Amino acid sequence: MEQEQSQQTPLVDFGNRIKQAFFPTQEADDDRGRMRTVLNSLILHLHPTKVVKRSLSLTYTWGLGGLSALLVVILAFTGILLTKYYTPSPDQAYYDIINLQSNVVFGELIRNVHHWSANLMIITTVLHLLRVFFTGAYRLPRAFNWVLGIIMLVLVLGANFTGYLLPWDQLAFWAITVATSVVSYIPIIGPEMSRMLLGGPEVGTATLLNFYSLHIGVIPIAMVILMSFHFWRVRKDGGITVARKVNEDIVEKPEKLTTLPNLVNKEVAFGLVWIAILLAFSMLVPAPLEEIANPMISPNPAKAAWYFLGLQELILHFHPIFGAVLIPGTALVLLVFLPFYDFSTQNEGIYFRSKRGRWLTGIAVLSSLILTPLWIVLDEYFLNWSNWLPDWPSIITTGVIPVAFILLGIVTLSEVIHWIFEINTEERVMFLVTFFFTALIVLTLTGIFFRGPGMALYLPWNMPVVTGH
Amino acid sequence: MKFFSYLKQHKSKLISLIAVIYIMALLPLYAWKEPVRMEKVELELLTENIDSAMTLYAENCALCHGLAGEGIGPNPPLNNPGITQMDYDTLFKIISFGRYNTTMPAWGQADGGPLTEYEISQLVALMQNDWWTYVQTRVINLGLQPLIPFESEPDPELLASVAALPNGSVLAAGITTYAAQCVSCHGADGLGTNIASALNDPALREQPQEEIENTILNGVSGTLMAGWKSILTSDEVMSLSTLIKEWDTIPSGTIPAPETPIHVTAESLQLGETLYAENCSFCHAAEGQGTPRAPSLNVKGFLEDTNDMAMQQIISLGVPDTSMLAWETRLSEAEIQAIVGFIRAWEPTAPEVAVPARGSGNSAGGGRWQNPGSTTDGSKGPPWMRDGYPSN
Repeated sequence: MEQEQSQQTPLVDFGNRIKQAFFPTQEADDDRGRMRTVLNSLILHLHPTKVVKRSLSLTYTWGLGGLSALLVVILAFTGILLTKYYTPSPDQAYYDIINLQSNVVFGELIRNVHHWSANLMIITTVLHLLRVFFTGAYRLPRAFNWVLGIIMLVLVLGANFTGYLLPWDQLAFWAITVATSVVSYIPIIGPEMSRMLLGGPEVGTATLLNFYSLHIGVIPIAMVILMSFHFWRVRKDGGITVARKVNEDIVEKPEKLTTLPNLVNKEVAFGLVWIAILLAFSMLVPAPLEEIANPMISPNPAKAAWYFLGLQELILHFHPIFGAVLIPGTALVLLVFLPFYDFSTQNEGIYFRSKRGRWLTGIAVLSSLILTPLWIVLDEYFLNWSNWLPDWPSIITTGVIPVAFILLGIVTLSEVIHWIFEINTEERVMFLVTFFFTALIVLTLTGIFFRGPGMALYLPWNMPVVTGH
Repeated sequence: MKFFSYLKQHKSKLISLIAVIYIMALLPLYAWKEPVRMEKVELELLTENIDSAMTLYAENCALCHGLAGEGIGPNPPLNNPGITQMDYDTLFKIISFGRYNTTMPAWGQADGGPLTEYEISQLVALMQNDWWTYVQTRVINLGLQPLIPFESEPDPELLASVAALPNGSVLAAGITTYAAQCVSCHGADGLGTNIASALNDPALREQPQEEIENTILNGVSGTLMAGWKSILTSDEVMSLSTLIKEWDTIPSGTIPAPETPIHVTAESLQLGETLYAENCSFCHAAEGQGTPRAPSLNVKGFLEDTNDMAMQQIISLGVPDTSMLAWETRLSEAEIQAIVGFIRAWEPTAPEVAVPARGSGNSAGGGRWQNPGSTTDGSKGPPWMRDGYPSN
């Protein structure tokens, strides 16, 4: 060996020394050596030394968790660059964005990458949650990690929400005004919470500074801590669930491959492809920027950010206490406790649990796609409980009564499905979650595409345009 | 075959390589295009902001600085190289803080004005980039053209009758000064305009004379009323205050408004044409030739005798005891001016004698009311109302 080394050219020797800095213990070029490399590396140690061969399949996890983590890194990197050209004050913020667009080389690109990564991250984290749910990978011992994931989803929404205000244009100003007015509907603590968030009665200097510190300080730190916790729990819970085919038994000792190079190479390829996609997209599509925020001129309609439009749509239909607090709050709490109710790990790793589960998911999506728009139109044009029962308080006529009707309808639907398919608890949970999630998507799409001036319903191709002033 | 199996074996590495090459190609390409993009964005922003500034100028500045920054009376012109080459800070400060001892008030919100810093910066961009020809069109289209400063010529006969009054010589001097200095803002006969209040006003006459003189000398801060200390002599101020105190003794028409033509642009002509067709052609006929219901407008006599202001007044206030309505409640001032501009455009080709449209049935005005029972064609109403109708 020594003789071989002495024969090498000095340049290769130089390279070897650098390699040694990163991988101090030179491992043999075999499986065992590669496993030891992973074990001894801080970063690669995120992974086990060997992974189940089947879990490597892209079509099982879709790499959604990894993509979200990559987006966090991209967001941190671009975010730090953006802070160099940004001042969180109403006098300066908008000019800084303009300056970024017209005077800073690559400024616009960095802002676009940051903007589109943040928006993409909402989609990837939600899809990640759905993937975990549909493969039944959220039960004990992974239930705690499921809860961590939901907290991080809330953080992602919070990061997007606080970042939305920073450009200080009309879009930002009014979206935050609308969204924070929703907060003030929470009984008792709502108005105080809204004041705390805004730092005053309305969106102003204090709000911008408040949101800025949340956006670049509090939320990222919380995010990094929770992410580390999340990754650590994945390892402690025995890695990700193993993909299975329908009716396939759990294999006691599944075939495994070494992490290096099988997993790492795939991850690198996946990450690079997404970076390329994001770059190309950001070069072509600029992040939106409207006129400078003007508290005197409110746009019509004033809409929240797209990911909150489902919530805004709910408030159009229900009493604020139901639309802003009880319905979304209950949904979140139920989501947290879901793995403790739907606890059987029998079908773990199988997409949609079973063959029948796949049919049920389809039926849930389809029925929700039909029923939700139907109900939106009914509620918009025909149901008018507050006029039919003028003496009753509005919380009954626009809250309790419609919610009771909807719950009754859904219980009936799930009983009918139960009667036809003889479904078990697990499948019923899946049916209902799918139904409600599809409803949320429909509500969000309605908010984005079908709401026009005065938040009235319009067909997207008939949308009237209201000009300013 | 061996090559393909190699590729299959190293699929991830291959994809990584392609992605890296792709990124490496994209970045320099973007960097190469970056200066062009930045220049384009800057131009777009400039255009956008100057466009906003033109509206701001029309709403806030045109009143004193003129239709296209040419300046009015003592208010300085802006459309000259002296202003264009002034640096940003100086211009911003002048607009934001105002100028002491002139009519230029502070416009910045920090100093109690109506404009945000952003709006002021837009105005500076407008001034530095010399877009005044477009400004003129914008101001006219918004119907915000300023009163052109004028000196009125007091009616000599009435002035002589005033001079015969007990306090006559002082009053006559006051009228002469008013006609030269005050009339362009405070209006003919002191009746006020949209920029300055009426002085021929009982409430004002109750004020002590010193107070009125004080106002003239020192101005009213926060308004366009400047202090006239340096321009008017104490005798002139005294005669003006006397005039204000005793205006009820002055016959109306002593200080008349001179003629000021209405400005037209292609857009305002277009608007005038549409509005005329919608509102006026019904009675005055499509070409202004008139109908039995209303006189012709497209005729030399009318157009030569009626100046723009008179025509605007007729449309605004209507003609009592005729079917000519007061249109000021239905149309805005700008719309009425657009109609006046449209009618004025007929003047060069107007005939000496108009031939009213009558019963042709094809023009927008004439034919509309022609029906068999109409009295306008001499048929004297429906059959049962005519003489000789067999009623019994």
